[in-house]
Amino acid sequence: MNPSPRPLYWTFLALIGIVIAAYILFPIFWLILASFKTTQELASLPLTFWPQSPTIEAYTALFDSNSQSSQLLQWPTLISNSFLVAISSTVLVLIFGTLAGYAFSRIHFPGRDLILGGLLVSRMFQGAALLLPTYRLMNTLGLQDSLIGLILLYSAFGLPFATWIIASSLREIPFELEESAMMDGASRLQCMVKIVLPLATPALITAAMWHFVGAWSEFAFASILMESSENKTVTIGLASFVELFTIEFNRVGAAATLVALPIMIVFFFGQRYFTRGLLAGAVKG
Amino acid sequence: MGSVSLSNIRKSYGAVEVLHGINLDVADGEFTVLVGPSGCGKSTLLRSLAGLETISSGEITIDGKVVNKLHPKHRDIAMVFQNYALYPHMNVAENMGFSLKLAKVPRAEIEAKVRKAAEILDLTEMLGRKPAQLSGGQRQRVAMGRAIVRNPAVFLFDEPLSNLDAKLRVQMRSEIKELHQRLGTTIVYVTHDQIEAMTMADRIVVMKAGHVEQIGAPLELYDNPANVFVAGFIGSPAMNFLHATAKGGQCVLADGTALGPLPVPVAEGRSFTLGIRPEHFIIDQAAAPALVSLVEPTGAEIQFTAHLGGASVLVTTRDRITARVGDPIGLRVEPGRMHAFDAKTGQRIEG
Repeated sequence: MNPSPRPLYWTFLALIGIVIAAYILFPIFWLILASFKTTQELASLPLTFWPQSPTIEAYTALFDSNSQSSQLLQWPTLISNSFLVAISSTVLVLIFGTLAGYAFSRIHFPGRDLILGGLLVSRMFQGAALLLPTYRLMNTLGLQDSLIGLILLYSAFGLPFATWIIASSLREIPFELEESAMMDGASRLQCMVKIVLPLATPALITAAMWHFVGAWSEFAFASILMESSENKTVTIGLASFVELFTIEFNRVGAAATLVALPIMIVFFFGQRYFTRGLLAGAVKG
Repeated sequence: MGSVSLSNIRKSYGAVEVLHGINLDVADGEFTVLVGPSGCGKSTLLRSLAGLETISSGEITIDGKVVNKLHPKHRDIAMVFQNYALYPHMNVAENMGFSLKLAKVPRAEIEAKVRKAAEILDLTEMLGRKPAQLSGGQRQRVAMGRAIVRNPAVFLFDEPLSNLDAKLRVQMRSEIKELHQRLGTTIVYVTHDQIEAMTMADRIVVMKAGHVEQIGAPLELYDNPANVFVAGFIGSPAMNFLHATAKGGQCVLADGTALGPLPVPVAEGRSFTLGIRPEHFIIDQAAAPALVSLVEPTGAEIQFTAHLGGASVLVTTRDRITARVGDPIGLRVEPGRMHAFDAKTGQRIEG
């Protein structure tokens, strides 16, 4: 990984990287800048790049109970719903993913590798193909338009991949460590809690981040299942917001920035674990 | 106190039996080494004793108590693993005190025991470090420290030195032996290295393919190997084996060369396997003629390979011989130093 021997090659790669990053990041950057502009500035020509008179008016309007937008969409409710769903399902996925991942990595049973591979295959199905059957299933169970239903649904969809990430990383932890702990007097559960899980932290963080971000930004299932306004999540809110306030683009920008903020924070703090966790199964350490 | 008794231990994986009825008694305070080539079942036997493997039949007794069904933690044993199995997220002190912490020993007592073990092992300066910051030898010592703090009835070692370089291995070998002399705790030690076995053990158990081939003190095995396998396994360079026939009280080689009187009475005309250790040859120009084919000086001694009686033999000598490849040389064997084994069964022919 030392770039010095082939400077031209690495410069070229870096340039390509910068172009791709700019292409992806520019619209996001533009949206964030727009959220700090006034409606007049956005409507006037020529277009400005930096806000001429930066203002957080668009943000305050989102939470101003007197404004038109707040009467149509309760942002505090949307945000707390999304946090509730994303955090609860992440906790569920971590608990069951860890238990299942431990079993997959430690217990020899017939068909183990087949099932573990099957967990990955389950990710190849497009969610859209499952929309209708899922809707009918949730209806039959009486879980449509229910936050608990959404939490269970996200957990069910997130569990296979989380299990796979955790199982792959636990396989890298030598079983002798646990045998040694058993000789030291630890029970199976103590081995897992005191030895295995602390060593699997990167994988657990990766699985948690992956699931949280997915659950936070999920749109399709939430939009068909959630009918009442007190049960909607931020992604549905954002979609209807775009329809309702196309003219006031600064508010759309502010809402989109708010929705993206938790994801950015998660990645900012978890990034170094994220790469380590995903690589855990790939390279023998 | 820690005596161990294994009685008719059998272990199968599915239809494959890997231990075929092992019997072994280890006295309290004894340093016993299980040695054999890889796949001989020595590690499986040790792990069965530890409780990490369940045996198919037989009885394991520690201190007179049958432990067959007991969880490892209730067997009053400590084990040092080949790769040390130190907990990477704990520092040295935490690693060593982990078992005591699980046993809910008061903190001050844990600290005192860890400090005492660290002093014995010269690890006092390292207590705050993580395993990744230690050298191979230091990790090895931490693994032993972890075993020592528990003050168990029996220490188990599973090839503890095989990950170390040659020089460190020799050093740790003497450290473990000194530790044993100091603590007096019973040790069962597994290795594939016969030199480790010879230098450390009070008693050696030689194993092959799930059977015990011979049990005895190191020099007993060296001087009186029970069969061709033990004779060839113990000692380095290995014993030479030649086809011989008993003729007129002499060991006669394939080409008719007479090498000396029979070590034990063998029926006239019977073929047998003749075993001679490399250092028991004597260079004597008047004796059986041989031809030098390879000369390897090691400093302390000279090893050379020679053709003798239609076979190739390895000879070591402390004499500064000047023979070169192709030179003729005369060889005889020190009186009473030849071993005779049955040509078919490989068992020692007793007098």
